[in-house]
Amino acid sequence: MKLKILPPTLRNDKRYISFEAISEVPLCKEDVIPLVWEASLNFHGECKTSKFDLWVMRVWSSKSSDERNIIKGILQCNRSEVSSVRAAILLVNKFKGKRVVFHTIGISGTIKAGIKKFIKLEK
Amino acid sequence: MFFDFHVHNSQLAEEAKRLGYNGIALIQSSRNYNKPDDINPQDDFSIWTGVEIYAKNPDDLRKKVQKFRERSDVVIVNGGDIKINRAACEDPRVDILAHPYKNRRDSGINHVLAKEASQNNVAIELSINPMIKTRLSLRAKILSQFRQILKLQRKFKFPLIITSNAYSLYDLRTPEDIIAFAGCLEMTHDEIISSLSKNPADIIKRSRIRKNVIVQGARTIEQGD
Repeated sequence: MKLKILPPTLRNDKRYISFEAISEVPLCKEDVIPLVWEASLNFHGECKTSKFDLWVMRVWSSKSSDERNIIKGILQCNRSEVSSVRAAILLVNKFKGKRVVFHTIGISGTIKAGIKKFIKLEK
Repeated sequence: MFFDFHVHNSQLAEEAKRLGYNGIALIQSSRNYNKPDDINPQDDFSIWTGVEIYAKNPDDLRKKVQKFRERSDVVIVNGGDIKINRAACEDPRVDILAHPYKNRRDSGINHVLAKEASQNNVAIELSINPMIKTRLSLRAKILSQFRQILKLQRKFKFPLIITSNAYSLYDLRTPEDIIAFAGCLEMTHDEIISSLSKNPADIIKRSRIRKNVIVQGARTIEQGD
């Protein structure tokens, strides 16, 4: 049987970090998840990472050239731990031996606002 | 206004501007220095030139500082050796002492050097690059060295500067991300803002009036100053 959904007052407060990743090889959502988790576990440790409620919501591929692949995405985290998560993803620098960099584009309270303000999907 | 005073590649200016910086200093090594001429001045983005001095000993350092001071806006000394660290902190012509903790177990700065750096306005650099490039125990060691420098900075009030030491676009980070990262080092918001904004601006201000300085504390004033 499925658990009953918590009332809004008892749910954790969330924030959505819109990010952009530039890499030498194309990345997908399955690559981003371990990158973010590993960076956070290495920098903050297991105990502190457990407070973050990290979740990679969605990833969109953006402009790409031969040497530069850009993706944009949204990361869910706990409202009080936004700066710790930002600090962790700042330290991502390698994926399978190739260089990669994560930049935070902005913070929003909803996914919809994040997409509208920061991801700016091309129609 | 955010500045990054340790960028090695002129092609990074565009990327730095996109990430939210208001100016960068393009740093060349003293080993193969030639004044860059492909700098395009922009309205809302400043590019300064600088030199990173690699010295064998304090005498060599003084000679090189003398040689490069007039030619560049920012003079950075590559630290690590304790004698070089000391000579750099004692020289008011030096703007920044870069990574004094390099290849050391301690932070490379003690109370004597901290006092000298404070008197001579030599900024001590905390570089993001070694943090990005290292992992686990080595990164923890560098973080501990950063904390030692911060502890001395709070007592002796020497200028602190946070830079990227970037060679490629994969080394650059946004100023907001750096603020979040520095917050994890228990730096206060004011300390972070002065390291990214006020202290670099002061270096440029001093560099502009330096040619008018006759002796320490006295300078010629031009009409309209």
